[in-house]
Amino acid sequence: MGFFVSNIWLIPLLPLLGGLTAGFLARRIKLDPFIPVAVGVGLAFLLSLGAYASADAERSVLVSRWIQAGSFVVPVEFRVDGLTTLMLSMVTFVSTLVIVFASGYMHGDPSYPRFFAFIGLFVFAMTGLVLSNNYILTYVFWEGVGVCSYLLIGFWYARPAASAAAMKAFMINRVGDVGFALAIFWLWAVVPNHDLSYQNVLAESTLHGLPEAAKWGIPLLLFWAATAKSAQLPLYVWLPDAMEGPTPVSALIHAATMVTAGVYLIARSMPLIALSPDVQLLIASIGCATALLAALIALTQTDLKRVMAYSTVSQLGFMFMGLGAGVGSVARLAVVAAIFHLFTHAFFKALLFLASGSVMHAMGDVIDMRRFGGLRRRLPYTYMTFAVGALALAGVFPMAGFWSKDEILLALESAPHAAEEIHFAAGWAYGLIYWLAMFTAFLTAFYTFRAFFMTFWGPEKLPSPDDPEAPPALDHAHDHHHGHDHVVTGDAAHGHHEVGVESGPIMTYPLMILAVCAVGVGVLFGPTHLLAGHLEHTLGFESLPEGHPEFSWFSAIVSTIAALGGIGLAYAMYAVPSEAPGRLARSLKPLYRASMGKFYVDELYQATVMKLVLGLAAASRVFDVKVVDGLVRGVAGAPWAAGREVLAKYHNGLIQFYAAASALSVAVLLWLLLFT
Amino acid sequence: MTDPFSIELLTNYLLVGAALFALGMLGFIARRNLIVMFLSAEMMLQGVALSLVAFGRFHGNWSGQIFTIVILTIAACEASIALALIVVLYNRRSSLDVTVWQDVREPGIEPVDVAAEARGAVLATDADGTETYPTLTPAGVEPAHPIRPWTERRR
Repeated sequence: MGFFVSNIWLIPLLPLLGGLTAGFLARRIKLDPFIPVAVGVGLAFLLSLGAYASADAERSVLVSRWIQAGSFVVPVEFRVDGLTTLMLSMVTFVSTLVIVFASGYMHGDPSYPRFFAFIGLFVFAMTGLVLSNNYILTYVFWEGVGVCSYLLIGFWYARPAASAAAMKAFMINRVGDVGFALAIFWLWAVVPNHDLSYQNVLAESTLHGLPEAAKWGIPLLLFWAATAKSAQLPLYVWLPDAMEGPTPVSALIHAATMVTAGVYLIARSMPLIALSPDVQLLIASIGCATALLAALIALTQTDLKRVMAYSTVSQLGFMFMGLGAGVGSVARLAVVAAIFHLFTHAFFKALLFLASGSVMHAMGDVIDMRRFGGLRRRLPYTYMTFAVGALALAGVFPMAGFWSKDEILLALESAPHAAEEIHFAAGWAYGLIYWLAMFTAFLTAFYTFRAFFMTFWGPEKLPSPDDPEAPPALDHAHDHHHGHDHVVTGDAAHGHHEVGVESGPIMTYPLMILAVCAVGVGVLFGPTHLLAGHLEHTLGFESLPEGHPEFSWFSAIVSTIAALGGIGLAYAMYAVPSEAPGRLARSLKPLYRASMGKFYVDELYQATVMKLVLGLAAASRVFDVKVVDGLVRGVAGAPWAAGREVLAKYHNGLIQFYAAASALSVAVLLWLLLFT
Repeated sequence: MTDPFSIELLTNYLLVGAALFALGMLGFIARRNLIVMFLSAEMMLQGVALSLVAFGRFHGNWSGQIFTIVILTIAACEASIALALIVVLYNRRSSLDVTVWQDVREPGIEPVDVAAEARGAVLATDADGTETYPTLTPAGVEPAHPIRPWTERRR
């Protein structure tokens, strides 16, 4: 074991130290708080690269024993295999760039040190999550990233929309955590020695010994957990609202890293998931439905960040489609495809978010695309990098998104055949999902370039308060759509930057680096099988059946046509201002309004689940006040009443009486003890 | 060699101990004089101590004896505190009758009228004359006292 493997614990520790220094020490020693965090995370990235080189499927490092109760042991043990090191490198690399970007973006915010302290804490939790070698430790860090997400969405907590969004994200994630906890309990009950480490749970002998119910129940519960963290139907509603947080947070946590934790969990447990083709089909279907729904919503959103948020939901749906496609002989191909998409998505989506942040920064915290336009001359670097990111997201050859999306489509294409091989009757559904995925890819290209053309093309327009779309000066704290073009408080605090001027180099350089990655990582890792080869060093993956992955010209050509078609349509409709979008919206009014209103999912939740929960809460309150409190007060009141009504009479101040009473009582007691 | 301390002998000791205890208890309940009550309580203690010693001897170990020594020590401390308290109480009411201390009782309960003596007891501050103390029969030669002897301070 080399230096990087035995010191793997430094990877979570350094960002944590950086965060603590930023939060508690930096101001006191007159240090810019972003420096310790950037250094900590940057060093963690270098260490991750070292670990990447020495990854091995069987390699794990025991750091300490955390819980020891009889035969039940939960060690703090870190796994250094292919999947972990890939995630580590990606997370720390993107984090470093986002931190550098944020040092410019958040400059001047009164809570500047707090921001970087939270970011450091987040990187600690996220690296811990991917490093953990057992489900319980994973769960701990799973909660840790959830807390950081909550803290950072509600970073501008004085704004009601931000604190409400933070609460919503946290609550919905709790719903998913219940699934994870149940999965852990169930696993504990069925695995040998109650050992929840991955090498034990995912060992072939364990998987064969599982009871029939657990073979589909545990994957289902794990997927339940993943739907909340990775924003899938029906629990995706928190992610679009999470855009209330600062834009670097949206880029890092709600696009590149944390939201992929669910995908990571399912990929990590792939040998277990692969036991149940039904659950896999469910995963693919949910992923497909989410991808389609989110893409349809993204078509009409006018808020640049919100388009990106729905696009994230949609792309996560793609990843789950990939994971779900892994039936029978496609298993390894599918999981590699999903992880590949996770990997490339992290770069181009972080790029798109940061570029949106750069636009927002230059527009004086206005993010509504109707209020600006034609920015390509004013923001040349942002324009170029956004273009690269948009091409990657749309999946145009040879950008990163093309290769990874193509692999997922390939997996979906081969899935019906593989399902037939293992006599899984419902395998035909994968064919449907394949075409829906293709359609979603078309929509993705369209809405991405709609946002691109609306922002950067057409006549130049800068936000002014006279816009018809501009929110009224006072009465918009409750307005969901424009939560962040709040000029009165909140954002106004950060970065006083001249409107309409390109951001400084500290913000554009990270964009350029990410743009290079968005171009390069796909072609570097995909067709060369570099990523697939690396993931072979992952625990349990070698036992997954290796199909015969062949580059599918059909999928590649159809998806390229879809992407180019989407871009072309967006160009026709939005590159120059025209009546076309308005006419189309009018002719499809109900659909347009449904998409604009996000298909009323939030309202549906409000009317059903929230009503139920609030009713339950009210009933619990009544039960608590009347029954529980009544019982406690009754118990407390009984001796008091007995004392006042009965015993007080005998409290007469005569010592002899007391002595006689106690002597008599002792006599009675003795008699009872001795003679009965 | 058999132990001469047989079970019969133990029974005798225990009977004496129990008798001491019972007499003490009776005295504590029946008498109203604070000092006599205190002496009765001490007698109960001695009854218990006697039983402990007897048991210790019977079992052939020292724990009973050790325990008794400890009890005696505690009893000595207790005696000093109790007698000091009694002096303070006497100074308040010029009486050793315990029934004059019925004040610590539930409000609204009538005091038990035990003796005429209790009725006659008054607060020391209200009584005229000098401060007084409870007396025992003087013995031996009275020392040359710097302050006025207690006999003269007696009302």
